[in-house]
Amino acid sequence: MDLAALKTQLKNFVQSMFEEGVLDNQFSQIQALQDSTNPNFVEEVITLFCNDAERIINEINRNLGYQNVDFSNLDSYVHQLKGSSSSIGANRLKLACANLRQASDERNKEG
Amino acid sequence: MATMHRVVQSSVSTSDATTTSYGGLTSCKAADIVISDQFPAGLRVLVVDDDITCLKILEQMLHRCRYHVTTCPQAKVALNLLRERKGCFDVILSDVYMPDMDGYKLLEHVGLEMDLPVIMMSADGSTRAVMKGIRHGACDYLIKPIREEELKNIWQHVVRKKWNENKELEHSGSLDDTDQHKRGHDDAEYGSSANDATDTSLKPLKKRSNSKEGDDGEIDNDDPSTSKKPRVVWSVELHQQFVSAVNQLGIDKAVPKRILELMNVPGLTRENVASHLQKFRLYLKRISGVAQQGGIANPLCGPVEANVKIGSLGSFNIQPLAASGQIPPQTLAALHAELLGRPAGNLVVAMDQSALLQATPHGPKCIQVDHGVAFIQHLVKSESSSSKHFSQSFAPVEDVASGFRSWPSNNIDTAGPSNSGGLSTQNGNMLIDLLQQQQQLQKPQQRSTVSELRRSINVQPSCHVVPSQSSASFQAGNSPVSVTQNGSYSRTAVIDYNFLSSQSNCPSLNIGQVSDVNLQTTGVLSGYIPPASVSPSVSSCSVYADNCASQQVQTSSITFKASRRLPGFVHSTSNIPDPYGSTKSGDLLNQEPFNNLGYINKGTCLPAKFAVDEFQSHLSSSSHGKVFSENIGTRVKQEPSMEFGDNAKVGIPMLQQFPPNDLMSVFTE
Repeated sequence: MDLAALKTQLKNFVQSMFEEGVLDNQFSQIQALQDSTNPNFVEEVITLFCNDAERIINEINRNLGYQNVDFSNLDSYVHQLKGSSSSIGANRLKLACANLRQASDERNKEG
Repeated sequence: MATMHRVVQSSVSTSDATTTSYGGLTSCKAADIVISDQFPAGLRVLVVDDDITCLKILEQMLHRCRYHVTTCPQAKVALNLLRERKGCFDVILSDVYMPDMDGYKLLEHVGLEMDLPVIMMSADGSTRAVMKGIRHGACDYLIKPIREEELKNIWQHVVRKKWNENKELEHSGSLDDTDQHKRGHDDAEYGSSANDATDTSLKPLKKRSNSKEGDDGEIDNDDPSTSKKPRVVWSVELHQQFVSAVNQLGIDKAVPKRILELMNVPGLTRENVASHLQKFRLYLKRISGVAQQGGIANPLCGPVEANVKIGSLGSFNIQPLAASGQIPPQTLAALHAELLGRPAGNLVVAMDQSALLQATPHGPKCIQVDHGVAFIQHLVKSESSSSKHFSQSFAPVEDVASGFRSWPSNNIDTAGPSNSGGLSTQNGNMLIDLLQQQQQLQKPQQRSTVSELRRSINVQPSCHVVPSQSSASFQAGNSPVSVTQNGSYSRTAVIDYNFLSSQSNCPSLNIGQVSDVNLQTTGVLSGYIPPASVSPSVSSCSVYADNCASQQVQTSSITFKASRRLPGFVHSTSNIPDPYGSTKSGDLLNQEPFNNLGYINKGTCLPAKFAVDEFQSHLSSSSHGKVFSENIGTRVKQEPSMEFGDNAKVGIPMLQQFPPNDLMSVFTE
């Protein structure tokens, strides 16, 4: 594939994510932030985000794996994830976090 | 970019220029004070967030706004950074939830130490969280995800804060607003107690405006964020000037403008005077509160009060001599202060003095005397430099006091009263009280007598207070207090207080009965409180004399009782210490007689009785009092150096001629 094709594919992919609600307006903002002074901004941000999010998700999983889940601890992690995802525009992820938070507030492990 | 930064900074600094260094703007500001169009570009922002994704995004956004960005993932590191480079940041963006430190805590630290605008951020946008942020002092609260437009506006917080600071600075007046600080430090003026009071009052003030006061306090030499105003140092002389001005006007009528005019000090602004006056008033209130505790409070209270006071005083006195000393002075001081409307400082001083007195290694008598003296001293001191007099007077007291004890307190009372008519009366009362107290302290017996005396004394117009006004002659001013020192104490007090003596040395004092020095030197001050010997009190003196006379009667009666109790106890209420110089004779009287009395009294109650009787008789007629005083005065003068025999006479003269004679006879017997 040539570059143009890749780009188009990416664009489409991103577009679809927007439509699905995976990405939201914030992402557009981040995209807009990319300029000549910082050409790889978006990429950097996404990379950062992914790494960070992975870390947090792992923590959350671990917490959930415990018999007695420490919900307050969990809550802080989820909060972090939520913040990051919202900053980057990962809408769905943010929503998922919100749900998780609510469930943890209710001490509902199942949720 | 760099140049732009510089320009921006200069522009930023220009906005700060008025405030001289906002957040410690660095020298970048340099000279130009033109707010370029670049503003708010170049704003130096510090971003603190544990989420590095967020950090990155914010950094990018802020760059887009043409701000100068520094990011920091840890709050502690950020705080250190801020401390190191105080002038390097204009605004701080901080996340609320952070692992190493709570965002609110960071907020507080920054507010206290650096006074920079802090903007909170969080994904949590609940009202509760926002409210908490505001309560902690955040300038703004942004909800994540943060949009670029929101960041574009953060410069408004910077500008607003700077302008507010400027405005505050302007309003505080030309001279510094930190005369409060100064006042707190002016121990000399107010004495320890006063100082404490002022200090405490100052402290809250300091804390209140962190940025302003705190900065001023912290960054004294550097450019504080708020413009610095020269501080007005309320030196002792300046304070005395202030006090005299206030007294002249009357505490109620004392308005800063008039005070300022009266003081006629170049460079002093109305605001300085106003704040100083406010502090002074608070001090007076405080003192009066204390005085009341001591039972002396309300100098003017009249007999009733006097009684009460006496009681309280008595109890006070009796307990610890030293304490007694303190109390009387304090009360006296308080009284004085109140009466004179003088700065509480005086009171404090008086009080301190008493403390001093106590401290001074006087003989036992001294202690008592000290009380009185101390008190007087305090009064005096507060007044002004004359405090020295007291100390001096104290010294002599000691000498004399050897025999006299607690006299001083009594003396003081008497001395006080002599002061300026109105005020002094109060003081006088106070003094009397003090004296009484002291007397009481000295001797339990005395106590009763003292109380009685006090009563009488209280009735008397507190003259002595006035002296304080005249700061100059101040010595005596408070001196009424010295009156009590019948014994040695009175002597000193009297001398110092000569002021009073001149006036009428309140024969009443004399009447106070020279308490036997030895016994108890209960300077029965009999409230003769020499009419404020102070010049102003002169007029009052006459009045006072009358009062004294009347009082004397009372006191004499009291003393009489007291005397009965005390063997040959002459309560010579050293009246009056009128420091104003004239009292000297009075002093002498007090002292002398006491000495003698003490000496002689030991065994003889008679003299006292006589004296008492005498007094009473004297008292009956105000004129007597006057005469008495005269006699005493003269006598006293002669006596100062008297020996026992003579002293007796002298002492007695106070009582007024009669007593001396009687005493003499007694002695001879």
